Amino acid sequence: MIWAGMQLTEKECRAAAVSSVSLAQATQVAGLQQNGRRWVCQRCGERQLRALPAGGQYCPSCVGLDRITSETTLVRFAAPPIAWRGQMSWQGELTPAQQAAQRGVLASVAAGRDHLLHAVTGAGKTEMLFAVVAAVLRQGRRVAWATPRVDVVRELAPRLASAFQGTPLVARYGGAPWPSVDAQLVVLTTHQLLRYHQAFGLIIVDEVDAFPYPQTPMLAYGVRQAASGPVVFLTATPGEALQRAARRGQIGVSRLLTRFHGAPLPVPRPLIRRGRRWPHRLDKVIVRRLTLLKNADSKLLLFVPQIDWLKPLVRQLVALGWQAAGVHASDPEREAKVLAFRQGQLDCLVTTTILERGVTIPHCAVLVLGADSPLFSAAGLIQMAGRAGRSADFPADPVYFVARHWTADQLRAIATIRRTNRGRA
Amino acid sequence: MRCLLCAQPLMDDLSLAELLGGHQARLPQLCRRCQATFSRIDQTTCCPGCGRALPAPVLCTDCVRWEAREAPLLHHRALFIYDEVMKAFIQSYKGNGDYRLHSAFADLLAGQFSKNAVLVPLTSEPSHLRARGFDPVLGLFGRLRLARWLTKGDTDLPQAQKDRRGRLQTAQSFSATLPRGHARIRHVILLDDLYTTGRTLYHARNALRDAGYQGQITSFSLIR
Repeated sequence: MIWAGMQLTEKECRAAAVSSVSLAQATQVAGLQQNGRRWVCQRCGERQLRALPAGGQYCPSCVGLDRITSETTLVRFAAPPIAWRGQMSWQGELTPAQQAAQRGVLASVAAGRDHLLHAVTGAGKTEMLFAVVAAVLRQGRRVAWATPRVDVVRELAPRLASAFQGTPLVARYGGAPWPSVDAQLVVLTTHQLLRYHQAFGLIIVDEVDAFPYPQTPMLAYGVRQAASGPVVFLTATPGEALQRAARRGQIGVSRLLTRFHGAPLPVPRPLIRRGRRWPHRLDKVIVRRLTLLKNADSKLLLFVPQIDWLKPLVRQLVALGWQAAGVHASDPEREAKVLAFRQGQLDCLVTTTILERGVTIPHCAVLVLGADSPLFSAAGLIQMAGRAGRSADFPADPVYFVARHWTADQLRAIATIRRTNRGRA
Repeated sequence: MRCLLCAQPLMDDLSLAELLGGHQARLPQLCRRCQATFSRIDQTTCCPGCGRALPAPVLCTDCVRWEAREAPLLHHRALFIYDEVMKAFIQSYKGNGDYRLHSAFADLLAGQFSKNAVLVPLTSEPSHLRARGFDPVLGLFGRLRLARWLTKGDTDLPQAQKDRRGRLQTAQSFSATLPRGHARIRHVILLDDLYTTGRTLYHARNALRDAGYQGQITSFSLIR
């Protein structure tokens, strides 16, 4: 059944044209239910509901997914086991370090225990999990690969489709069409997990510390709600809560602190400048380094804290001879520009934090301008630095943090990268 | 306090005058960055008939047609252009039904009207009110003193689901009950959330006229 494991409102069932046969087999629950004295949203776990002037209340947290009010009924479809007719068609080889990490994850998943896979940027963590996914699919259970970032969903879906040929797969994100197959492998944003209930024998949460997952409690609730088995958390920069759980042994952990090519992570070089005329004029020191990079035929990712910095910087870079473009979250040409950068029509992308994760460009230097901005967290800075040196041919691309002053986050990012290079988590 | 749209903490410095009183300190509900994404209509060059954003203040083609059919014109005014950002806002507020957003523009709307005018909101029809749980117009203008002279009967389809032609052919569904002493009221401003073709507002005006109101009637909406 196409809807296996999903929970939809009645309105969504009509919009998705769910057949009456499927509806007859589903269970129906009230969208808001009383738990003790408080009302709780049954989809996202929110307890702070809002009153409506005409009576009743609604859940403000998951309102973007079709509102749940006092009158809403949630329709939950069961997720029966399903035989896996596909195969793992991925034929690559894992390094011994990757194999060791993979064994850790396999052991936890077999024991039904949650697991943290802490792998540095560019470690090859996606491929490491293929065997784990295959093991769960073989048991006739469904697998979700969830991530807070829609870009990551778009990048992963085709990779997983070719790694697991013959496996019914759907990608779910805001604005995607309703599924048309009974999927065993679902690649989706963490928001879309709220539309599933007790559906997956394994959920992988990729980039678990990426915005907005840590800031939005309902997403973690959604993961719990959608899982009927263990959860594997994947990140290069685990947050304090996950680290603590791992230290206390509440969840399994494997760490992979070297890149697949074995070279250390590029350590960011700090440049403290006065930056009075940023972004309209770059300092000579920076221009000189940019020229060196250009002469070395390197590509460049330039991260900035504000959208209005993009235009003046692109203008200066073009004047310096770069094929540059600026890209931000609500840029209508976002996907096209990133693709042009991947394919080499552009050699420089000026961007906000949206490209801090999931982008792999060979021979790419990283420059963070205004690294002192409060918007740049230590984890974010580590991720940005992690865009450099990803290919085996150019493992030592430079990373610069250009700032007006030091911040604790810059210090922590550099210290963490150094510590990782010494082999400590 | 957090921004209603991006949930970032609101950081706004009050001026000394606001702190000391004199001016009423009204905290905006949206952060500066979100506020800046909406496009304001330039009131000095908009269409004199419907308040549409134009390069120069001449009657737009729509208003020329309205003048032929329903003169005199409403002299409608609006604050914002109905662009993609505003469409997304209306989708969240009216479409998804996120009632929290009703106060997003309250601080702006509070300063728009003269004290002598009576503000008459265009209320939603009973079936929509039931489905949505709130009245979008009353929500937006709820901080003002409103006179609910107009009631709306149920129609076959909401305006939002019709094309332009269907909108213009919509039949009258408003009825007005005037209070005693309405003859002393010189000016009525009709309030709506959105002016698209103008059909709804002209129906509302006609309903007031049919009920016997004689004074001046103009109209205002958040968006044009």
